[in-house]
Order: sequence, then structure tokens, then C-alpha cells
Amino acid sequence: MSATLRPYLSAVRSTLEAAMCLENFSSQVVERHNKPEVEVRTSKELLLNPVVISRNEKEKVLIEASINSVRISISIKQADEIEKILCHKFMRFMMMRAENFVVLRRKPVEGYDISFLITNFHTEAMYKHKLVDFVIHFMEEIDKEISEMKLAVNARARVCAEEFLKRF
Amino acid sequence: MAKNTSSSAFRKIDVDQYNEDNYKEDDCGESQSPPVGPDEKEITNFINQGKNIEALKTVLRNAPISSRNQMVKDAALNVVMQVLLSVKSSQIEEAVNALDRDHLDILMKYIYRGFETPSEGSSGQLLAWHEKVHAVAGVGCIVRVLTDKKRV
Repeated sequence: MSATLRPYLSAVRSTLEAAMCLENFSSQVVERHNKPEVEVRTSKELLLNPVVISRNEKEKVLIEASINSVRISISIKQADEIEKILCHKFMRFMMMRAENFVVLRRKPVEGYDISFLITNFHTEAMYKHKLVDFVIHFMEEIDKEISEMKLAVNARARVCAEEFLKRF
Repeated sequence: MAKNTSSSAFRKIDVDQYNEDNYKEDDCGESQSPPVGPDEKEITNFINQGKNIEALKTVLRNAPISSRNQMVKDAALNVVMQVLLSVKSSQIEEAVNALDRDHLDILMKYIYRGFETPSEGSSGQLLAWHEKVHAVAGVGCIVRVLTDKKRV
């Protein structure tokens, strides 16, 4: 684990703990509706200040909280073209199956790679600290996953090239 | 008389904006004599003399919290960042312990503000600050950053 990863994750963890104080809140506009206020943005009094935590220019997390929902957007490090492609494909794969991941948002917020939307129903059905743990774990693993995939792609390409060039 | 028309533009009108009980941002503008923010020269002097903690105290005491002028706030942010980045990592704990609660809240606001514009090496230092402030002031400090409408 590099020098800034641990303080980065602990800063995100403490901010999430603070932001995840959610309660049931019905829409002020439509009767018998219940919408995540961070998405519909009907009233300014229901939204909290959005905060950003950054590790460097490329890696950052945007946390937008509101009375009944919190939106976490993560920007993942992409050092070169192949990581960009891998990251894009992997995020697309997961977001197409967003309903299986429960807290995943179907589209990332502009400028970020992946977003989670946690509402009060999630915090009621699941342990709050486990949700925070999940987000932190996800951030820890995603970098590892992508660099592993990159190695696998390179290894495979090398084997393919060797086989191909044997013929000449 | 109702007129038969195929126009459906009226459906797009947001009728809720005419509610009289809508929330309005209270602009209790203290526009008269706005605070001008910290004095850059004084702060630079403190830093040059190695009195980083004194510089931090001064800059937080003079933070333009209630000002509505974005230029003043940005200038203050630059000064604060200058101070925060000049403090050595071994001194951070001492500096944080020297501050009182209100100033810690303001400091936390500046830390989050600093995260929004990452530059070379600044984020690592800010993360160290964040950790130390959180250790002293706890989660409440972050909650106040999230909820306070008086932004830095």
C-alpha cells in the first residue's frame, strides 16, 4: 500500500460516516412520492455541501449528501490507454447490471468513472458501517483489479505474438 | 372561454416555483464593511520567520466566512494553502492541538476546499491535515463542513 492510499481511504471513510445520516423523507412536490433528493434537487435546503477528496489530480472522490440520499462518485486512476479502455469496459459491465449491485448508479456523474447512490432505504436494510466498508473496499480493490487485468492482457498478447511469429 | 389548442407548452411550466412557502436562501447580507480576509504580507512574514502555527492562527481568525465575494474567498484560500503546505508533517499535530474548536471547523472547510483543486503534492499534505483534525475534532467537524451554508 503506497504512502497516500491509507490516509486517502481513511479521509473518505470518515467523510462517508459523517454524510450517511439519512432519514425517510417524502417528496415536497409530489404527494406519496419518495425520491432521492440528491438526484432531483428540488430544494436547496435539503442538500448538503458537496465535498471532494482527492489523492492526486486523477484520483478523487465526490461525496454529495442530502436528507435522504448520498451520492458517491469515484474517479479511478488511468495511467495509459490500456487502463482507460479496461476501466471503461469494466465500469460499463457493472453499470449494465446495476440492479444486482443494489447501491450502484446506472450512470456515473459527469467527470467521474463510477457512482454509487445510497438512499435511506439502503441504510435501513443494511448496516451503515458495512456500506461504508463496502465503498472503501471497492476503492481498494478496483486499482488492483485493473492493474491485474492489464498484466493479463499484456501476457496474453505476448503469448499470441510468440505463437504467431513462430511461423516465420 | 377555453380555446381548443394543440399546444402543450403549458405543461412545461414549473408551477411549483410560485409556491409561497418555498425555501429561500437567507441572504442576510452584511454587505456593509465586508471582511477583507487575511493580510497576505503579515502571513508571509510569519512563515519566513518560521512561526507557522502563529501564521495558521492568524489566517483562520481572519477568514472571510460571511463574505459573499468569491474573489476575497479565493484569495484567502490561496493564503491558507500557502500556510498549510509550509507546515512540516511533524508539526501538524502540534498546530492542530493549538487551535480551538471554531478554528478547527474553519480549517476543515479549507482542507476540503483545497481538495477541489489538487496540485503537485498538495493532496498528500492535505490528507495528513485531514487525519489530524479528524482525530482531534471528530466526525462532528466534518458534519459542520457538510451542513454549514457559510462556505469558505
